[in-house]
Amino acid sequence: MKNDQDFPTLPDEALALDRRHLLRLWLTGSILLACPPGLAMAAGAAGASKAGGTLRIGADADPIGLDPTIVTAFSSNDFTALLYSGLLRWNAKMEVEPDLALSYDMPDEKTYVFKLRQGVKFHNGKDFTAEDVKYTFDRILDPATASRLRTQYASIDSVTIVDPFTVRFALKNRDAAFLSYLASNPDGAIVPKEVEELVTKPVGTGPFVFESYQPNQQFTLARNPHYFEDGLPNLEKVVFKFYKDQATLSSALRSKTIDMTWLKDPKVAALMARASKDFISAPGQTSRTFPVWLNMKAPPLNDVRVRRALSLATDRQACLQTVLGGSGKVGAMIPESQVGGYDGVGEMPYYKPDPAAAKALLAEAGFPDGIDLGDYIVVAANPLDVACAQILQQQWQAAGIKVKIVPMETAPLLNQWSSGTWATLLSVALSWTPDSDAILQYLNSQSKFGKAMGITDEGLDRMMTEARAETDNTKRAAKNLAIQKHIADQAYVLQVYQYPLRWEIWWNYVEGYVPLAANIRSFVRNTSLKG
Amino acid sequence: MSDAAIFSLAGAEPAPRRRLRPTAGRLLLGLGLVMLTILVLITLLAPLVAPFDPSATSPQSLEGSSSQHWLGTDAIGRDVLSRIIVGGRTTLFITFTAVSLALLAGLVLGLLSGYVGGWVDEVIMRILDVIFAFPVFLLAIAVVAALGPTVPNLILTIAIVYTPAMSRVVRGPVLSVKKWDHVEAARSIGMSEWRIVTRHVLPMVVSPIVVATSLTLAQTIFTVTALSFLGLGPPPPDPNWGGMLADARQFMELAPLTVVGPAAAIVFATLTFIVLANGLREVLDVGSER
Amino acid sequence: MKRVILVRSMWMAAILLGVSFVSFMLMRALPGDFVLAAAGAQMLQPEVLEAMRRDLGLNQPLIEQYLSWLGAVLKGDFGTSFVTHQPVLHELWPRFLVTLELALIAAFIALVMGVSTGLVSARLRGAADWIVRLYNGFILAVPNFVVGTLIVLLVGLYFPELAVLSYTPFLEDPLGNIAGMILPAFALALAISVTISENTRAAVLEVSNQDFVMVARAKGLLPRTILWNYLMRNALTPIITVTGLQVATLLGGSIVIETIFAIPGMGQYLFDSITSRDYPVIQAIVLVAAACVVFINTLADIAYATADARVEA
Repeated sequence: MKNDQDFPTLPDEALALDRRHLLRLWLTGSILLACPPGLAMAAGAAGASKAGGTLRIGADADPIGLDPTIVTAFSSNDFTALLYSGLLRWNAKMEVEPDLALSYDMPDEKTYVFKLRQGVKFHNGKDFTAEDVKYTFDRILDPATASRLRTQYASIDSVTIVDPFTVRFALKNRDAAFLSYLASNPDGAIVPKEVEELVTKPVGTGPFVFESYQPNQQFTLARNPHYFEDGLPNLEKVVFKFYKDQATLSSALRSKTIDMTWLKDPKVAALMARASKDFISAPGQTSRTFPVWLNMKAPPLNDVRVRRALSLATDRQACLQTVLGGSGKVGAMIPESQVGGYDGVGEMPYYKPDPAAAKALLAEAGFPDGIDLGDYIVVAANPLDVACAQILQQQWQAAGIKVKIVPMETAPLLNQWSSGTWATLLSVALSWTPDSDAILQYLNSQSKFGKAMGITDEGLDRMMTEARAETDNTKRAAKNLAIQKHIADQAYVLQVYQYPLRWEIWWNYVEGYVPLAANIRSFVRNTSLKG
Repeated sequence: MSDAAIFSLAGAEPAPRRRLRPTAGRLLLGLGLVMLTILVLITLLAPLVAPFDPSATSPQSLEGSSSQHWLGTDAIGRDVLSRIIVGGRTTLFITFTAVSLALLAGLVLGLLSGYVGGWVDEVIMRILDVIFAFPVFLLAIAVVAALGPTVPNLILTIAIVYTPAMSRVVRGPVLSVKKWDHVEAARSIGMSEWRIVTRHVLPMVVSPIVVATSLTLAQTIFTVTALSFLGLGPPPPDPNWGGMLADARQFMELAPLTVVGPAAAIVFATLTFIVLANGLREVLDVGSER
Repeated sequence: MKRVILVRSMWMAAILLGVSFVSFMLMRALPGDFVLAAAGAQMLQPEVLEAMRRDLGLNQPLIEQYLSWLGAVLKGDFGTSFVTHQPVLHELWPRFLVTLELALIAAFIALVMGVSTGLVSARLRGAADWIVRLYNGFILAVPNFVVGTLIVLLVGLYFPELAVLSYTPFLEDPLGNIAGMILPAFALALAISVTISENTRAAVLEVSNQDFVMVARAKGLLPRTILWNYLMRNALTPIITVTGLQVATLLGGSIVIETIFAIPGMGQYLFDSITSRDYPVIQAIVLVAAACVVFINTLADIAYATADARVEA
């Protein structure tokens, strides 16, 4: 097993792992979910296709920088995911599996020792060793780098090189999120030691090599001939073509100018998938929630009765039906693709629509004639959000709650949200994050957003800390569910629905592709084109 | 640019056509007035004419034409026809108000600049050049982002955008009228400047201004709907034509009527003012080509 | 004449300075900056945001930022895009060419349509004149984004496999590139063709009334010879001027058509840059677009001034 060219492909190799660690690795992932139908279809047909060819993917946003340690924009993830690899990665069932690591050992609850793959080369020809792993994490943790990842990896105490292919991570405390972050891209991506300007000249160990980039037009990646998985990737090239406009994007897919894409509006995607049977459409797991954030620093929303009234006045199922055409689920804080994610049907306090009860609560809070909550700020550029806001406005009106919808440009909206200066209600959708803890942190009294919203709930903070420390997934899921129930009971936020962030759709000559809830297209490495 | 030059250039036309002009012109003007009446009536009576509440949503989305919903329903189940009717209100209100403001500003600046002349003219025209050279959408986005996407802000933006053009329309004729003999004569007998302007200059420039205003109305409808199309229009749930068109684009193959309806409304409104402008131009005998 | 041009050029520079200053201050005065726009809904620590601002020089006083920007621009350096980390000019140039190509193709279509309808209307008079003028009036009433949307709709309904919405880089496939430009250029050309048509008509009518044409006619020259030798040559100045003005406006104003047809030109670039608050790019586009408008305006003014001088003399 010295020569990387002889490495078997992953499933077999995974079997070679030490049984105990293997088990642990599998379990560390999120809860098991059935494959969506499209996924099964895609995986089943993989045999007959040949290597080579160019896959053209329609993308809706340009990357903003390609250095995984310092990128902050979601739009960069699509590219870093194909350029870089991490120690671990997500498999098709959203479970953690080994990638650059071969296995890991836990001598104690707070120490992880990773055995690394040998013979892996970076795109610049240099060998991948433990030095690069240490460099990557030291760089993240160095305050001078100002990496957004520093807080996510705050539990890391030290990274030590045991030998050129063994690394030890010592943590300050038990941390269930640690492995999730390592498996996510770009969060866990390993960068080569002391290579400058990764922002524009990315160098990773991923299946594809950066070739060229014409902003707003296309981003081209070429096959990495030295990629460590035998025979992969199949494709010679991957070309991302940029279409800012959703109508243009779907039209480009129909005319086969692109082979695959993802659509933002589930209704459009569902209708499109029905238009031709040669489309494979994979809604994927729900990974995005649509919340209404409340400013609880001042009256009237500092009164839990007003917040509960708002929740009771909301018919989440109706929003779901009208805005998403039913392609989604009722939402809570954590989307279903995460540990302890809400399934959309379970009991949640104040979720059953009841305008009369809402009115009664308002009267009790001192607003017998209804209440005017003023501006409800939404992202102007997101038609789904604006549509849902209009439906909410009508539903609330029926319970005597008046709001005025204010669509706003993204930058000023984020400015108000993060600084806590918005009036009463504001909506920004939450996208997939590597670990459920990152989502809960929005409501932590100590976090930037928690402070901006005016939450002071030490009990809730403690529940979150305990959940993150729980490395047993079943127990953690139960804790996360309890947290969500508490949030719904206090109505700290009004979660409306959850839906797939990426409703991916592609022509059936694209084979072997599997969509992931993880906001990336890492399975392009297994993809091939038929005929 | 020199509108005066364009005026003089386009103004001279062969004599035989003059006889034909008034009849055809009156015909056009009449048609324009009828169209305007229809537009204004529908707009004023919108809540009575609209068959449904334009904001009422329902799960019956993207349905085609039916006896109930003549133009079908939009992506969140609202009646398209009602939204077009009520949407005309917002669009036309913004258009009229913005053009009135621009006209007012244009009259003041154009008269000042054309009549007083000299350095006042230079300074005013150069400042207007700066505004004129400024991309419309940058200005619109800036105003909306800074002050919010409200109707008054939209009116303000569009008024600013059209002020340079209106000023030029006023300034051109004023420049030539100023040199006319009876103005010179009035000045020589010691008439006050104010009286000269109101008695002798203004009446002379009314015709081109009227024509230019109706053309500007047509152009403003274009700008208002284009801004709404780009998401810079008045906020929901109030419908507006440009926003409806933009929203419908995503689903246009599935529900073509949701695109065709607002498109037809925009064309009708614009056409009204163009017909009106052409009719006025013929009747008032203005050779302007804006 | 030289003096006029000199004074005009100085005014042009002053106007551009004014435009750049106003747009600089306007964009910075807007709530939300690049750092926030890039971060999106993610939870970023204040120190991460501060570090990004420091790296981009956004923490300096505004007037200092403007002056250093201006100083660099005078030396030909437009800075680096915050989003793509590439030199702004390097990014802007291909987009400028795309928009220029679109505008030129549109101008060509508009010229062909406008001059022919204008000639028909001026030469044939009577019914033909009225039909052309009614047609022009109607065309003027259809905004270009409505035409564009309807084109995309019809193609989507009846020719779903036709790739109207894909931009092909010129160097990759010149024919495909031009083919992709024709529909959007057509949408833009319609309204311009009306202006050209009306100006052609007016110019031809005016010129045909002037002495030298009368003389030519009296000398018994063929109508066709008169049309091409005298009429068109003399009517050409206003037609070209009008077309030039329209192209100048297109350079800064084809944003909606570019969005509808997914053409990576300057309009779309400006819109995206404003959304992401990519200040150096916004500044450069505004400057280029304003320069086009001001330059062609000035040319038109000078052309008219020369013509007027000739007429008066």
